[in-house]
Amino acid sequence: MASIAEREHALPGGWTLALRYGSLGMLLIAPTVLIFAAVIAYPLVSAIYLSLRSIFTPTLQGHWVGLANYADLLSSTTFWRALRNNFVWTAGTLFLQIVAGVAVALLLNQNIVFRSLARSLILFPYFVSTVVAVLVWRWLFNDLYGILNHFMLTLGLIDQPVNWLGQMPNAMISVILVGAWKYFPFVVIAVLARLQTIPPQLYEAATIDGAGPWGRFFDVTLPQLRSVLTVVILLRTVWDFKEFDLIYLLTGGGPINATQTIPLLVYQQAFGLNRMGMAAAYAVVMMAVMLVFMSLYLYRARRSEEAA
Amino acid sequence: MLARRFIGAGLLNVGTWAVVLAVIFPLIWMVLTSLKPQSELFHIPPAFWPQSITFEHYRVLLEETPFLQYFRNSSILAVSTTVLVIVVGTLGAHSLVRFSYPGREKLALLVLFTYLLPSVVLIIPLYLLMVWAGVANSLLSLVIAYTTFALPYALWLLRSFMQGIPADLEAAALIDGASRLGAFIDVILPQALPGIISTALFTFILAWNEYLYALVLVSSDAARPLTTGVMNMLITSFNIEWSLLMAASVLMSLPLIIIFAFLQRYLTRGFGVGGVKG
Amino acid sequence: MRRKVDTNVSRLSHERVSRRTILKGAGLAAAAAGVSLATPWRARADDVTLRWWSPQSSPGQLASYKKQIATFEAAHPGVKVVFEPTSDEGYSAQLAAAFSAKQQPDIITHLPSFAVQTYYAQGLVEPFDDVIQAIGPDKYYPGANNVYKTADGKYCGTGIGNTAADMLWVRKDLMQKAGVSEIPTTWDTLRAACQKMQTGGIYGVPYPYGLNSMTSLIIIGFIHRAGGNIFSPDLEVAINSDATAHALDFYKSMKELAPPGATNYSWGESLTAFVSGATATGIYAGRVLKNVHDQNPAIADFITATTYPTMSKDFPAWTFNDFPSIWIPKGSAHLKEAKLFAAFLLDPPGYIEQLLAAPGHVLPVLKTIAENPDYLADPIIQKYKAEVNLMAASAAGGYNLGYETAKHKPNSKANDIIASNVLAEMVGRVVINGENTKTVLGDTATKLADLMKG
Repeated sequence: MASIAEREHALPGGWTLALRYGSLGMLLIAPTVLIFAAVIAYPLVSAIYLSLRSIFTPTLQGHWVGLANYADLLSSTTFWRALRNNFVWTAGTLFLQIVAGVAVALLLNQNIVFRSLARSLILFPYFVSTVVAVLVWRWLFNDLYGILNHFMLTLGLIDQPVNWLGQMPNAMISVILVGAWKYFPFVVIAVLARLQTIPPQLYEAATIDGAGPWGRFFDVTLPQLRSVLTVVILLRTVWDFKEFDLIYLLTGGGPINATQTIPLLVYQQAFGLNRMGMAAAYAVVMMAVMLVFMSLYLYRARRSEEAA
Repeated sequence: MLARRFIGAGLLNVGTWAVVLAVIFPLIWMVLTSLKPQSELFHIPPAFWPQSITFEHYRVLLEETPFLQYFRNSSILAVSTTVLVIVVGTLGAHSLVRFSYPGREKLALLVLFTYLLPSVVLIIPLYLLMVWAGVANSLLSLVIAYTTFALPYALWLLRSFMQGIPADLEAAALIDGASRLGAFIDVILPQALPGIISTALFTFILAWNEYLYALVLVSSDAARPLTTGVMNMLITSFNIEWSLLMAASVLMSLPLIIIFAFLQRYLTRGFGVGGVKG
Repeated sequence: MRRKVDTNVSRLSHERVSRRTILKGAGLAAAAAGVSLATPWRARADDVTLRWWSPQSSPGQLASYKKQIATFEAAHPGVKVVFEPTSDEGYSAQLAAAFSAKQQPDIITHLPSFAVQTYYAQGLVEPFDDVIQAIGPDKYYPGANNVYKTADGKYCGTGIGNTAADMLWVRKDLMQKAGVSEIPTTWDTLRAACQKMQTGGIYGVPYPYGLNSMTSLIIIGFIHRAGGNIFSPDLEVAINSDATAHALDFYKSMKELAPPGATNYSWGESLTAFVSGATATGIYAGRVLKNVHDQNPAIADFITATTYPTMSKDFPAWTFNDFPSIWIPKGSAHLKEAKLFAAFLLDPPGYIEQLLAAPGHVLPVLKTIAENPDYLADPIIQKYKAEVNLMAASAAGGYNLGYETAKHKPNSKANDIIASNVLAEMVGRVVINGENTKTVLGDTATKLADLMKG
């Protein structure tokens, strides 16, 4: 697909006035930039500033320690273990979110009875409050009075209640599953919206060429979804990586640090141990990791877009 | 042949609805639990259906707690944030897609950088900023805060939807003498409507559900939204008021389900794609 | 459905006008909404407004607070009190933000005593001696305010209630069925009794083994009941001791008598395990009484509470009390009124109504209230009079990590230690991972020393 710039030059008339309209374009983006600068840039800078100090959270007072926070952090096994857990959690839940999201979007694009209701119900995991969702899931997972174990026992699938959250690898798997359940509707809605704008002629042409349903999916649907999926994967990766509430409330990081991720460490440092400086250092390192990923990902995405 | 199509359609319907019901199973559990009297909460072995139905918990919630006040606050907060984000975001996304000016790509990337820091570290500086601006402890501070989180992803989502709209459409309108803004409103907006609707949904949900910033930025009940209001009231470290919590969660969810079902009508192919042959 | 681009210019301009009008109208509405959003709550200039924070605001408690506020405002015209709920999870973040923006409230209740000590050590708390005088020091249970004595000899707050957090709850009917004749008082008899009672889907104990604050608090109790301490009276790390090893051994040996999910249990699960009838014993505060009454009245006649068994008869009972507190942050603009209100909170009948919103769970700090007939008239208190009295006395004589024995200096790092989960991790490593106790204790001692250094 030709880039916008190339298409602009190819078209007659008003488009050669692109330079004059450039200033209108900057005007349109100005509010965003202003809000960004004022409200995000300042906390961002202050986070780096805080990370070079040892700060007591309630008073925000402290003293300079230079890179000592970073040195402590990078030499502790806690950090590296949390980083590894972070990757496992993010990769696992992201994969399920995308696969389930695309699959369900395709289903909800068909002519189903009460389709509007189905589409709005599928959003439920996404809009229910995380605290409530986790409390309900802990209830459902409970070994004594939880309905999941009860169903499985009655159906004869197991003969002892499963310890969903207190044992590995169950804990990580449960966390990944609940995360996928909670966030896959985001993918569903974004993909569903994009599916609406795929020209039906493409499908007609593919059918004429003899493509079956799988062929149509891989040759027509998927390429059309590429741009939305690129954005969705990027956003979900960043958000899943940063996820705090879900894991903290579900397992607290247990059993014994097996599901402890970096956002949990940041929170513990900032408000549990009242060490804002150390928390900021963890946050900055997390940012660096995500920055590397984002740059690599966008670079590859741009490369494949240009190749297409 | 006809029979096969019926069976196919039947399987599709049953299969899809089975998936939907499985996904909303916790909601079903919440509704059933909220109708059970407290004595049926923790039956061992667990019972799915209530033995007796009671609306007592809903009554207590609506009459004896500030729940309705929190609901009103959350509604104002979510609607304001969504409107603000959609307006600023759509204009911004259009700019990123259609206009060229120096630093455009870098700007788009920079905006996404806002997501790299965990909120825990941002929250106190943000609160100090609100105090300095004189809007601390008000709904406005939350609208500002939520707009700043929502804007980056709204921009990126809307941008990707708008990139899918052929430039020829706008060019045709311009050739016909429409102004840039006119072409935008009459041609681009309808095409981008599914994308705008979905972005609006996400923004609404973000504003409705957010907890940590609502916790720190607002401490007075007059401006408190549902998330912190319900949590503070019903959850302490030693005890959870389960029945009231389930009733509150159902009341928090049902209006959203209804609104979203209504909005889904716009998430359809109604506005077409083709329009220019060739 | 396809829509052709409309080439009719006049039609476009007509549609544009109607859309513009709509946009304009929306803009005006948004502006109006913006104005209403931006107005934070403001008081009249001559009114004194006190802001009161507490993480305990269930509907019953909220109703009692409203009444107390109304009574106080009637008695002190010109003073308004605004109650602002917070949460156990959220108060540290909220207070941090409030202090740094000089927006701290005037009075805070129900935080554990060691939280107040932490803030006091940073100079954020107003000394409370005069308020205690105003309330009447002899009305308290003996020694009830010792936990609030700070390193410089002043009081940093007082209690709004007591909570006996780790009482032994037992099902008398299950004891009878299993042929257990006496309520256990030592660990060995407890284990034996639980082994007998663990049949037919009923478990012995609902101990928490998860990475959370309950595990930390519970194991602190067991270490003391084996005669040990986490810190010495001078706050040197003392956890690496035989007593701790014994406590961990016992806790580990009981795991088979706990439900399988106990490795993730926290307060809610542990409480419900006993209340729902799934375990024969419980380890909890007085909240059990109301919950059984509401959720499982069938067992209401068979439950009783006692102080938790100790390692052997040589070791006295030790009860954990987080001492829910009242304290006044430094820098309040209305100190006089805040102190008046603080003292007022413990006045009957408002105080009684507040306590009865959670009968047996938040126990009175004043002996006079405990003997007050209005307090005793509550049906739950009446039914379980013996248990409530025992809990009140045990809690008043109880301790916590910030104040381990009467000889200990106050530990201002106690909050950090609980939040760091170091003790919960210790339990997990020994019980779940099966690691060598000596190694784990050594590691834990090092971590505790680091935390104390701050």
